[in-house]
Amino acid sequence: MREQGRGDRLTALLRRGPLLAVLVLYTLYTTLPFLWVGAMSLRTTAEISADHYGLPSPAHWGKFRAAWVDSNFAGYFWNSTVVVVSAVAIVTVLGAMAAHALARYRFPGNRLIYFVLFSSIIFPPQIVLLSLFQILVNYDLYNTRTGLVLVYVSLQLPLTVFILEAFFARIPQDLFEAARIDGYTDFQIFLRIVVPVGMPAIVTTVILNFVHLWNEYLFAVVLVSDEDLRTLPVGIQRFMGDYFQDIGMIATGVMIAVIPVIVVYAFFSEKLIQGMTAGAVK
Amino acid sequence: MSAPADAARLPAAAAPRRWWPAARRGERDPGAPSWLTLMAFLAPALLLYAGLTAYPVVRTFADSLYDLENMDAPRFVGLAHFVAIWSDETFLRAIRNTLVWSFVAPFLDVATGLLLALCLYAGVPFARFLRIAWFTPVLLSYVVVSILWLWIYNYDWGALNLALRALGLDGWARAWLGESSTALAALMVTHAWKWAGFNMVVCLAALHALPSEVLEAAELDHCGWAAKLRHIIIPMMRPTLLNLYILAFIGKMKVFDLVWIMTQGGPMWSTETVSTYVYKRAFAWNTFDLGYPSAIAVVWFIIVLAAAAVLHLAFRQREKLEY
Amino acid sequence: MSTTKFGWLRAGAAALGLLAAAPPVLAQPTAANPQTVTMWSHWPDEASKRTYVEGRVRAFEASNPQCRVRLSFIQKADIYTSARAAVRTGQAPDIFWLEPDEIAFARNGFLEPLDKYVDLNGLEDWARASWTHNGRVYGLPLEAYTVELYYNRDRVRALGVEVPANGQMNQAQFTDLVRRGVAAGVTPLAQGVADRPFPGAYFLEEVLLRRLGPDDYRKLLTGQLPFRDPRVMAAMTWVRELVDIGAYPRSMATLKLGESHYYFHTNPGALMFPIASWYTGRAFVPPESGGQPPGFPLGLMQYPVMDNSDCPECKTLAVGGSYVMYARSRNKDCAGALLNSFVNIESGNQWMEGVLLQTGIRTDPSRISGINAPYFRELQQRSEGARFFIGTPLQYMTGRCADTFQQVLNRALPGGQITPQDAAAQMDAACAAAPQ
Repeated sequence: MREQGRGDRLTALLRRGPLLAVLVLYTLYTTLPFLWVGAMSLRTTAEISADHYGLPSPAHWGKFRAAWVDSNFAGYFWNSTVVVVSAVAIVTVLGAMAAHALARYRFPGNRLIYFVLFSSIIFPPQIVLLSLFQILVNYDLYNTRTGLVLVYVSLQLPLTVFILEAFFARIPQDLFEAARIDGYTDFQIFLRIVVPVGMPAIVTTVILNFVHLWNEYLFAVVLVSDEDLRTLPVGIQRFMGDYFQDIGMIATGVMIAVIPVIVVYAFFSEKLIQGMTAGAVK
Repeated sequence: MSAPADAARLPAAAAPRRWWPAARRGERDPGAPSWLTLMAFLAPALLLYAGLTAYPVVRTFADSLYDLENMDAPRFVGLAHFVAIWSDETFLRAIRNTLVWSFVAPFLDVATGLLLALCLYAGVPFARFLRIAWFTPVLLSYVVVSILWLWIYNYDWGALNLALRALGLDGWARAWLGESSTALAALMVTHAWKWAGFNMVVCLAALHALPSEVLEAAELDHCGWAAKLRHIIIPMMRPTLLNLYILAFIGKMKVFDLVWIMTQGGPMWSTETVSTYVYKRAFAWNTFDLGYPSAIAVVWFIIVLAAAAVLHLAFRQREKLEY
Repeated sequence: MSTTKFGWLRAGAAALGLLAAAPPVLAQPTAANPQTVTMWSHWPDEASKRTYVEGRVRAFEASNPQCRVRLSFIQKADIYTSARAAVRTGQAPDIFWLEPDEIAFARNGFLEPLDKYVDLNGLEDWARASWTHNGRVYGLPLEAYTVELYYNRDRVRALGVEVPANGQMNQAQFTDLVRRGVAAGVTPLAQGVADRPFPGAYFLEEVLLRRLGPDDYRKLLTGQLPFRDPRVMAAMTWVRELVDIGAYPRSMATLKLGESHYYFHTNPGALMFPIASWYTGRAFVPPESGGQPPGFPLGLMQYPVMDNSDCPECKTLAVGGSYVMYARSRNKDCAGALLNSFVNIESGNQWMEGVLLQTGIRTDPSRISGINAPYFRELQQRSEGARFFIGTPLQYMTGRCADTFQQVLNRALPGGQITPQDAAAQMDAACAAAPQ
């Protein structure tokens, strides 16, 4: 819009009144819940019961320490970190290798494999949930971090291959031919050309997988029963059960789960947005 | 296949910084690789897929023919579970709820996303900040979102009822998750809250990709916003919007966490979804059979694949759409 | 599933297991090392029960150096979810917490009979019966309870209503009390059903039991008497009438059990609270921990009886939280000894004194003392001359019937979301059609 004079600007502003109202309202709609919980996380339950919307004065920072230490949030955090980091690392390596093979080599069954992987993206989780439970039990992997990691890898594998294959297929053929002339083996080509060139897409899948798995609940709740092995989402949900009426403490727990995400997001917002919408944005 | 199937993505370029010409599909390495090389690249992924996706799917199909009260002594029952499913009121209700949610709610998600994207596209101040702020809920786990919204919907002190009472609409205040007439809608709103930012970002990118000449031409014609939206923007963004619809649709067919934590399918099965029902039958009822829930999973699997295929065909345009 | 099926795929999966990482190997207990018994208990939020259980476990460890106990307190719902999965896998804890409505665990062979390990004569007969399946006893019935109607003396008196000395009101008096409460802006009955499948039905159950008498009530719960029976319909119609007057909180559906306690005694406060006698577990703790305020005017009344009731003196007595032993436990000796250490009069009395709640362990109530002894005496008074019906409806129902009970009688009927006719039809369709 090209406004000229002051008067024009005013009418433009008036015309945009509803627009600005929508902006403000929607921003409040997304952010107020966080501020509310943030305030509650610093107040005691007695204070909250007296007024659910009061400000934290004085702020009870000690509640965070209490949740972290006494309620084993440290443990949940550690479990989530171990499981998710291992799963993301494995799925990235396996996915990149498979994506490379599918994108680069001509062989019978290439498209069949691609299609099968692709269609499993839409499988409802129930179709594997119960039998994965039985399988992990059969192999003594039930209630272990290893079992959960393997399941997480298999859950994210199709999507990872799918995104990476699309990207790898665009790497120009000339690069490969040049590399071959230089005497690179297939593995060297993968490591020295595909991986560096494909790094943006690999980073994207890492982010996507990380966020999905960090938030995963259904498989974590079914495949792990030991309190010491619980991941963060299950931990918070159980915490909510243990402190059923201690709203203040639950709010503290929620904030512990939210803060790391917000901090990472504050620094890498564009990267995260790009990762989470990978593939959906043309 | 976990969590939000909004996870399912389009194949299109994830390529943000592309400095080389895109190779055409099918132009693969002519130097046929040795079988060994190929397997070295593919085998780990395929093995994992076979062991932890393909085999479990097959096993679920097999399980659905058994009574598995005791995992060590399965009892073959043939198609009995499938016969029982058709007279299982709760299952039919769960199917109905899930289908309503899957078909209706994506309109809410996509429309909100498009509206927000248009606001930002109109060149408002702080657009960058707003885009980041609105996207935040996408990153949160369902557990956190559920707890937040349980409190927002609280009858006595929840933000929603408080706002209604402040506006003098006391009669509208209710236990939103406690009444069968509002519980499902309340869950849909929560789900839309989480995902609107995702749709917004995708729509915004699509808007920026629209050829600016067309929009400028419309501007010169003094075309109103509504008309521009209706005659130019929506038709041109059709592929993106349809893709988003399909993504949201698949995500909602899988929804579990949100429902399980917020309502556990109640009240009166009004928010029961297929996911929660399978879970209940397997792990929450005081029966131990895994066979019947497996049969439900099989039926649902077929319905989901069929629905996805139908949508895919129905929305199929000149350009190839995938989800 | 037979292990030979899909062998090739299994081989693949096994290869994967090796490929990724070897699963941790479980340490086998040897004679030289002490056995470690894993024990999951409910009651993370009930200080007095925790204290009692921790105390017993510590005493056991002190006198049995060959046994160690790894005790954790976990919410009931989570124990059920985890245990239900874990028992099928050989990975359940040696001892865990169950209520007798989960007797299916025993039916499926997941529980170890306690006959060999526990002095059964130290248990009350009715309590033992609740855990008996095929002639064997499967649970240590630590917690027992009666279904009571607590009330706030001051608030009721302020409405000008005098509760008779025996605590007994009739239908008309009770309806009047509810009306007065609503008119005065006080919720008559505190109740929360968000996280439990049963409390919303307590009032109806007790009224029905008195109206029908134990035999017909049992038939009703086992699907042999339809809910369309006119007496049952009359009771449900009365409940619906009370609901329409405004007897229950409007937030009932989303109020949790713990919150409903707080709702009754502190904020906003209610006239009455239909709950089991384990009320004390959450209420008799300091107010900072969610307990009732000091000097709270707690009273106990009887559930009202409808006219023509067959058994006005009837009352529900049930076994609640119990400990069971996992059938595939590798530490049965220590686990059994631990369970048996709960079964003696001292232990039972300690429970009653500390928790102020009944138990299925034989006790000597005459020796109860302590600051809350007056409450305990009133609790006992309310059961004097009572004819007990053993068990709650969920201990008689399974599968779809139990699910329907939870949705319809626990939530929808007291929530005013369903007519008595529909409620009866749904219950009959789920329970009578397929008696289990």
